[in-house]
Amino acid sequence: MSAPAKVLLIEDEKQIRRFVRVAVEEEGCQVIEAETLARGLIEAGTRQPDLLILDLGLPDGNGIDLIRELRTWSDVPILILSARTQEDDKIEALDAGADDYLTKPFGVGELRARVRAVLRRRSRSPDSASPRIEFGSVVVDLSLRSVQRRGENMHLTPIEYRLLSVLISHPGKVMTQRHLLREVWGPSHVDRSHYLRVYVGHLRQKLEDDPTQPQHFLTETGVGYRFQP
Amino acid sequence: MSPDPLKTERAGSALQTYTLTCAACATTTMLATPLYAYLDSANIVMLFLLTVLGVAVKLGRNAAVLASLLSVLCFDIFFVPPRFSLAVSDIQYVVTFFVMLVTALTTTHFTSVLRQRAQEALRREQQTQALYLLAKQLAGVLQLEQVVEISASFIRTQLVAQAVVLLPDEGRHTLSPVPFGAPLPVEMHLARVAFDSGRFVRSDEVMGMGLAAFYFPLKAPMRMRGVLAVAFPAEAEAPGDATLSLLEALSSLIAVALERLHYVEVAQATEVRMLTERLRSSILSALSHDLRTPLTAMVGLADSLFLVKPTLAPAALETAQALHEQADRLASLVGNLLDMARLNAGEVRLRREWQLLEEVVGASLKLLGGALSKHRIRVILPPDLPLLEFDAVLIERVLCNLLENAAKYAPEGSTIELRAAVRDGHVDVAVLDEGPGFPMLRKAELFNMFVRGEAVSGKPGTGLGLAICKAIIEAHGGEIDVENRPEGGARVYFRLPLGVPPSIEEELP
Repeated sequence: MSAPAKVLLIEDEKQIRRFVRVAVEEEGCQVIEAETLARGLIEAGTRQPDLLILDLGLPDGNGIDLIRELRTWSDVPILILSARTQEDDKIEALDAGADDYLTKPFGVGELRARVRAVLRRRSRSPDSASPRIEFGSVVVDLSLRSVQRRGENMHLTPIEYRLLSVLISHPGKVMTQRHLLREVWGPSHVDRSHYLRVYVGHLRQKLEDDPTQPQHFLTETGVGYRFQP
Repeated sequence: MSPDPLKTERAGSALQTYTLTCAACATTTMLATPLYAYLDSANIVMLFLLTVLGVAVKLGRNAAVLASLLSVLCFDIFFVPPRFSLAVSDIQYVVTFFVMLVTALTTTHFTSVLRQRAQEALRREQQTQALYLLAKQLAGVLQLEQVVEISASFIRTQLVAQAVVLLPDEGRHTLSPVPFGAPLPVEMHLARVAFDSGRFVRSDEVMGMGLAAFYFPLKAPMRMRGVLAVAFPAEAEAPGDATLSLLEALSSLIAVALERLHYVEVAQATEVRMLTERLRSSILSALSHDLRTPLTAMVGLADSLFLVKPTLAPAALETAQALHEQADRLASLVGNLLDMARLNAGEVRLRREWQLLEEVVGASLKLLGGALSKHRIRVILPPDLPLLEFDAVLIERVLCNLLENAAKYAPEGSTIELRAAVRDGHVDVAVLDEGPGFPMLRKAELFNMFVRGEAVSGKPGTGLGLAICKAIIEAHGGEIDVENRPEGGARVYFRLPLGVPPSIEEELP
């Protein structure tokens, strides 16, 4: 067993820090706490955490600035804690480079699941350069540009394929509409969110067992999409 | 040429003027009499001509004409032999009289023309001064009443006339006078014509009826601001061009002042609204943060009791679970209340985007997850449903509320159906259940806040769900209603306008 993963928790509310610490430690992680953004940034630099849990509503500044700053020199996964009413902040934080978010209030079970997922991705990502990705009954081979479902070749249009490859290359990460539109259609299309909806619909029709209740191409309403392997 | 006010003034003192003229001639005669022995008669004529000149300068044309005649008469009677009689001994004097009269009258004419010009120039200067002063006053004014008062008093003092300002109502349908001083009866029809056409309107017929006869549109750069109605006293002469153009200048000054006031008002109202909005949203977000933080801690801390080592007794864990659930309920209540407050404030910013209904339905079902696990869920959506323009987060909330309600009231194991259909320019979305249905007697109240279907109910809930749905749907320009199904169970449906979805460029194969 390697050294326990280090989780940096930036949260001003003591009681929330307390239960988050208990929950994260239960996942076998070591927890570093910071009460302010300024402290958090220092800890992030010196302790090199494997995951950052950041409350967006800190009194000493804008958490989004911290994400931007951090992203200039680190790709540590960032999990945001935010209130439901902060849709715009959430999107901004995700666009700035955050990976996932939890809406307050959240249960310990939910939190542990997210932490586990992020850490699993992290431990896997360096050597998972395999061009073959499997989810459900679908196999995608990025080197052959082939998509198979239940052993049958599926025909995807170029845009569908491009969207699929962007989504599956960031498993578990919430991707904002803006980000996906820019990646797939280019910067001139970032306002045409209906394109994205229609094409995600196509992917679901072709690759999900029940397109109305998707298991892999999940909607984060008002924010974007998440690919769940 | 508009000498009317001056003429009136002159008419009043005509008697005095003529008396003065007579006195001037008499004085000249008396002064000249002792000099008769020393002066040539030609020089005495000069004295009289001097008098006429003086009278012309000081007292005006009519007086000077009188003075000319009197001078000739006095000269004849008192200085031409035979003295003290009209008779003339030497016929030469007839030439003297003639020349004297012609000289006097010519002097009179030129002097009085000059005098009139000078007076006119003076009056113009005074009016310009007054107009300038008025413009300065109007520029500093902050209230409508002041504009009216300043303009009316200008017209009263400068033109000896009465005036009233008529302003349109909100919808610009009717004009009504701004109350100030003595009411001036106006002919509304003429005012309306001036307002609509933007042209000056006068009617000499209504003047006799004591109504204002002159209507000047108050035309400001952006739009027509009202009408200025002016009435001159009945006994005065009709106003000349100069007066009318003065009134036109005045009208545009008033119009600009009114427009300025309008925009001052608009700016103030905007500022007040902005401040109110900012205050409200900062209160709401502070409240939402302050309530949510302890609730988050409560939910999480209750959960963390499950992680305590050694494991707590089952009774303690049950309590922890109950704590979690209660805190969750409280959180959803707080969420609902804050949402309702936001929606009620009427200024929810809809993030309308073109959406697939299917996707939002899927997201709602996933979000509810466990809450629906005890029911069969059937989703029936037409395959060709067009894109709909709505705020996905809010419509997701409506769907969740409706599905959750259905799951709460319908018996376990029954089927909950979600259907959508396109019908004349709308899409109807309905949630159907096999529960007890709604008490139709209180149907109208169902969408009110804090009203729940069952008066005494063991089911948890706040009675805010349907009220929030209604507020959201109405913000989208739709409608929501409930009915009971003939086969039993409730049907809640909402209707959204279809709109014209944006086109999607076909992908090149």
